[in-house]
Amino acid sequence: MQVLETDIAIIGGGGAGLRAAIAAAEADPACRITLLSKVYPMRSHTVAAEGGAAAVTLAQDSMQGHFEDTVTGGDWLADQDVVEYFVQHAYEELVNLERWGCPWSRREDGSIQVRRFGGMKTERTWFAADKTGFHILHTLFQTSFKYPNIQRLDEFFVLDLLVHEQQIVGVLAIQLNTGELYQIHAKSVILATGGAGRVFHHNTNGGIVTGDGMALAYRHGVALRDMEFVQYHPTGLPGSGILITEACRGEGGILLNRDGYRYLQDYGLGPQTPLGKPENKCMELGPRDKLSQAFWHEQQQGRTGDCQGHAVVYLDLRHLGERHLQQRLPFICELAKAYVNVDPAKALIPIRPAVHYTMGGILTDAQCQTSIAGLFAVGECASVGLHGANRLGSNSLSELLVFGHVAGKQAASFAKTAKAAARTEVDQYCQQQQQQLQAKLGVKSADSIAAIRHEMTLAMEQGCGIYRDTAGMQQCLATLAHLQQRYQQVFVSDHSKVFNTELIQHYELGFGLDVANAMVSSALARQESRGAHQRIDEGMQQRNDERFLQHSLAQLTEQGAASIRYQPVRITQSKPAVRRYGAEPSQQEQR
Amino acid sequence: MQKTLVIQRYNPEQDHKPHPQHFTVPCDDSTSVLDALLYIQQQLDPTLAFRWSCRMAICGSCGVMVNGIPKLGCKTFLRDYKDDITVEALAHFATEKDLISDMSVFLTHLQAVKPYLINHDTRPQPHQQTPKQLAKYAKFSNCINCGLCYSACPQFGLNPAFLGPAALTLAQRYNLDSRDQGKAQRMPQLNGKNGVWGCTFVGFCSDVCPKQLDPAAAVNQGKVASAADFVIGIFKP
Amino acid sequence: MSEPRQVNRAYQSQLRRNWWLKHGYYQRYMLREATVLPLLFFCGCLLTGLYSLQHSEQSWLNWLAFMATPWVIGLNLLTFFASLFHAKTFFELFPRVLPILPAPLMIAGQWLGTLSVALLLALLLGGVL
Repeated sequence: MQVLETDIAIIGGGGAGLRAAIAAAEADPACRITLLSKVYPMRSHTVAAEGGAAAVTLAQDSMQGHFEDTVTGGDWLADQDVVEYFVQHAYEELVNLERWGCPWSRREDGSIQVRRFGGMKTERTWFAADKTGFHILHTLFQTSFKYPNIQRLDEFFVLDLLVHEQQIVGVLAIQLNTGELYQIHAKSVILATGGAGRVFHHNTNGGIVTGDGMALAYRHGVALRDMEFVQYHPTGLPGSGILITEACRGEGGILLNRDGYRYLQDYGLGPQTPLGKPENKCMELGPRDKLSQAFWHEQQQGRTGDCQGHAVVYLDLRHLGERHLQQRLPFICELAKAYVNVDPAKALIPIRPAVHYTMGGILTDAQCQTSIAGLFAVGECASVGLHGANRLGSNSLSELLVFGHVAGKQAASFAKTAKAAARTEVDQYCQQQQQQLQAKLGVKSADSIAAIRHEMTLAMEQGCGIYRDTAGMQQCLATLAHLQQRYQQVFVSDHSKVFNTELIQHYELGFGLDVANAMVSSALARQESRGAHQRIDEGMQQRNDERFLQHSLAQLTEQGAASIRYQPVRITQSKPAVRRYGAEPSQQEQR
Repeated sequence: MQKTLVIQRYNPEQDHKPHPQHFTVPCDDSTSVLDALLYIQQQLDPTLAFRWSCRMAICGSCGVMVNGIPKLGCKTFLRDYKDDITVEALAHFATEKDLISDMSVFLTHLQAVKPYLINHDTRPQPHQQTPKQLAKYAKFSNCINCGLCYSACPQFGLNPAFLGPAALTLAQRYNLDSRDQGKAQRMPQLNGKNGVWGCTFVGFCSDVCPKQLDPAAAVNQGKVASAADFVIGIFKP
Repeated sequence: MSEPRQVNRAYQSQLRRNWWLKHGYYQRYMLREATVLPLLFFCGCLLTGLYSLQHSEQSWLNWLAFMATPWVIGLNLLTFFASLFHAKTFFELFPRVLPILPAPLMIAGQWLGTLSVALLLALLLGGVL
């Protein structure tokens, strides 16, 4: 077993991890930063974000406006002090990226171009064509080369956190191309491992989005907050779940059901806006939770179409014209052609909702600090309190920049004062972990990692989808418990050390099962409907502020179950009100 | 429908060189090579090793040789092949295991060209950049670092120290950016024997590029810049 | 996994001399590069012509006779077509390297230039002879 010493270890090389690394490197040039990633950083799933990143930009816009949209969009479950900090710092972070070379789309005069996005009352989404996440990730990755104190460990998979007396000591990782274990001792550790969309069957996420960081923290007693809030993106491709960006609708795309009818007008998002004249917060530019829920109702009423056995509705971009599409949405044209053989300039794109984002995650304070001293979490794996019950599109790319910066700075200042922990106990713990790893290697059995994973994703889709009920969730929990038993018995048939991908999948499945359990348990306990969490049980179909204007906290019990408790939401200026979209003005806007 | 994939397997702990193994997979019109590999890994042989993630041709992980041509597994469909399909690790890179290539040389080359904006002005405002100025380099900024162009480039195959299409394209991307002032720092790398002049314009890199960046054009634009740099150097005191 | 691991034995295949025979694309590339061979022969012919011109009348006449032999004519015809082929590939690559105008325009311009120079030379030399 190798031992490495560093000051800050960052787990995950996506947007949040890279931003944190750069912030730490700038905060303290003497500090040693080690960035571990299970894939080369430019493969991280930030790469697949398409639409854009939000920040108050235009003269007619205001911090107050972005604040209100975010809080309302999150159905008042966001911590408002965090939202305030976020909207105030988003612009400077996007400018930072601009100054690092990000190829933002421009207006004729050379200034930054902004586009409309769902749930936002005005244009404030910066974009780089329809590959915003790709350009942000590559810009951050390439900029990180400038800092000699950022050491990358590419293709290192973290197996466990090393914690001693509620203080972080480092991480235990495996180098994929040698199979060698590394103890990496660090004074601060930042988890930036992304979401957990892959615990669902239909999702827009890459294969690497398996909830690793959430489970790592959860297993060491850190609470997972608001895990019941899982965002369905309304427009994924049927079958694959490949993301078709919300920017399509921002540009003026419309949604049609089987009969060519713009069904969103029946779900509190109307009246119908004229073709090619989208209006903020109306119809197709409603928030993602409402749009995905509308699909579910259409499907119940048999008004969806069929695409290779999948229920679908249709995204119509034809009226935007070939030239505009090639200029603003070239990647979407490429994806539609390759994966459903549709030219969006000439035909309708079949789409359906797919799991996209986990609003919840590792509980942190507003400074990204978790309950373990020196352990920070940021990005989709964390719950800093920004998104509440439903995230608005284009807030997450800004989030990973704003809070990546915070996490990096905090981790650097913590590392300066922290003392290195005693090694002996950590050494023993690592030896145990190594033995456990060895014990996983065995013979091929009838059961397989792939089979358990498949059943988990189906169970989650059925039991914890867009609409949920008690019986379905209880069934889902029972299935997960059974799968957990099977998981304990299943071996890794591959004995090799070099790129033992089966071993890694074994770990990822274990992480996924824990996260899935926290999701369903949190969902079952929340007996109301709010944002992305919708119950169809009697008496739970409305929001219930009296009982549930609270964050849920899932804590792992010794029996492997999740115990749920609640934490108050921090409200500074916006009192809960009715969420209104479409023509009805919301209460704030009247004020 | 069923098709046969012939996969070049290599386990460094057992084998001296790769050997073919046949797998039959079910497929329809939408089955990609990546889908087929996933099927094999999940249903037939969990020891098969390959890289993948986004399955939408943007993360750049799943480059493999399909019938001898560098391809992204997720954007290559079984429907386009009549007979058996051979799948191997990317050419010209060392094979670490099965379909996994050693990409470290690629990363080293990328980093060698200082691929970040160099600009000493520190004002906290965005630069102005017109759509026309953006269009000059926008295409070259779309590289997903999949490495297919290196597997298409015989010059890289013959001389692994050659910086290669993607790295030279990235250098050109920053050199063409109106906000950048770092060209002088990048030119020594580009002028060197493993820089732009290592390219003989075979042009296959542009053919296999899944994002149609035309890296061959970028590299040869680099030659023009390098020649200009040389001439200017003569007259400079 | 605690024992020190040997160096990872990654498999590196080497490109052989015949690498360019493995793929149609490489073969076309080599064909383009090979157009220099008949051109070398033609340059040799020209140089010998110049040499014989200043050497003696007899050697000039010998050279003329040599140039008229069928295999020399054949080789020079080959040079001509090889050069045309090379010009075609070059003209198509050029707009990608110096993207000043739309590519089709630049390609047409280059052919027009070639044709003009050829015509001018034919006129000049035709007039002299």
